Amino acid sequence: MVKIILRDKEYQVKPGMTLLSALHKSEIVPESVIATRDGEMILEDEILQDGDVIKLIAVISGGKF
Amino acid sequence: MKCRKCGEKASVHMRQHKLALCKEHYLEWVPEQTERFIKKYQMFTPAEKILVAVSGGKDSLGLWDILVRLGYQADGLYLGLGIDGRRSPNGEGIGYSRESQHLSEKFAAQHNLKLHVVDIEKEYGQPIPVLAEISHRGHGKPCAVCGLTKRHEMNRIARDLGYAVLATGHNLDDEAAVLFGNTLNWSSEYLLRQGPVLTEADGLARKVKPLCRFYEREMTAYCVARGIEYIYEECPFAEGSKSIYYKELLNQLETTRPGAKLTFYLRFLEARKSGELFIEKDVERAHLHPCEKCGQPTSATGLCSFCRTMEKVNSVSAS
Repeated sequence: MVKIILRDKEYQVKPGMTLLSALHKSEIVPESVIATRDGEMILEDEILQDGDVIKLIAVISGGKF
Repeated sequence: MKCRKCGEKASVHMRQHKLALCKEHYLEWVPEQTERFIKKYQMFTPAEKILVAVSGGKDSLGLWDILVRLGYQADGLYLGLGIDGRRSPNGEGIGYSRESQHLSEKFAAQHNLKLHVVDIEKEYGQPIPVLAEISHRGHGKPCAVCGLTKRHEMNRIARDLGYAVLATGHNLDDEAAVLFGNTLNWSSEYLLRQGPVLTEADGLARKVKPLCRFYEREMTAYCVARGIEYIYEECPFAEGSKSIYYKELLNQLETTRPGAKLTFYLRFLEARKSGELFIEKDVERAHLHPCEKCGQPTSATGLCSFCRTMEKVNSVSAS
């Protein structure tokens, strides 16, 4: 399985699908996140492999001037 | 997906530009584009001293990093707002302001940059949440008082310290969300004032937004690629805010229509400049006069909004 982590939430998807499909399946708006695997950014066409841990970084933040 | 410049594996894909870049070329591309926007909108020149409003977030630290890399004379200003993020009166806070100050100071020290730190509680007797509570502004949330205080203090400090220009890290998503909100309400006065540059006037420092054409996602990618450590948590008071809701709506639109946010903002700037949509009346600036207490420009008679708020805070605190 592939684990997807966004803040304190975890999602699981089957390997072999693209990151974009995985985000849609997890009901995450692709525009609202950056995806990383082992600290490196990956793109939406990346095929996810069994055992992958994808850490999503939310792009919207508050508290700016 | 391959990098358009070198053919290596791409790390960032900007669908609105139909452009994918590897990490190295992305780190070159962002400063190049920033320089292009600075020149296009005539924000400032290399001879001018810039004060960057730094919050510890990705946009302001990213902006500071880019300006310094481009060779501009950019110092930082951090305002200590005293926001802890306590969920209940006896609950434990997340130390939001403390952490954001720590990250701002760490960035400045790592890059050998000058950071001015101004603590609102030391200056005005109370942190932002208490000032908001005492003054009864903002319907139970401190955001209105926070915004008012930040604008007032940034302008005061930029002028007091002799900076030619004040730069903020507003990105395109910030600008599009404000534009969306003002369009929903047809707030013509606010619409006429929105833009990459607010020119200086008597008592008002020039304000510029060099990142106004970068998506929030691009600034996140820049900080990740550059290894800039920034405060990831949202301001605890931003939860449920209209601006975040508008950003989420616009991102849904962007997902199905790549470039929609960029087009929304750029077409607005074009229409505003050409006068197609609005007839600009320069009544706002014409009616400004100095506040009787602090001297900063205000459209109110007597005291400006900030000084009225502080008078109220002081009178309630004294009683």
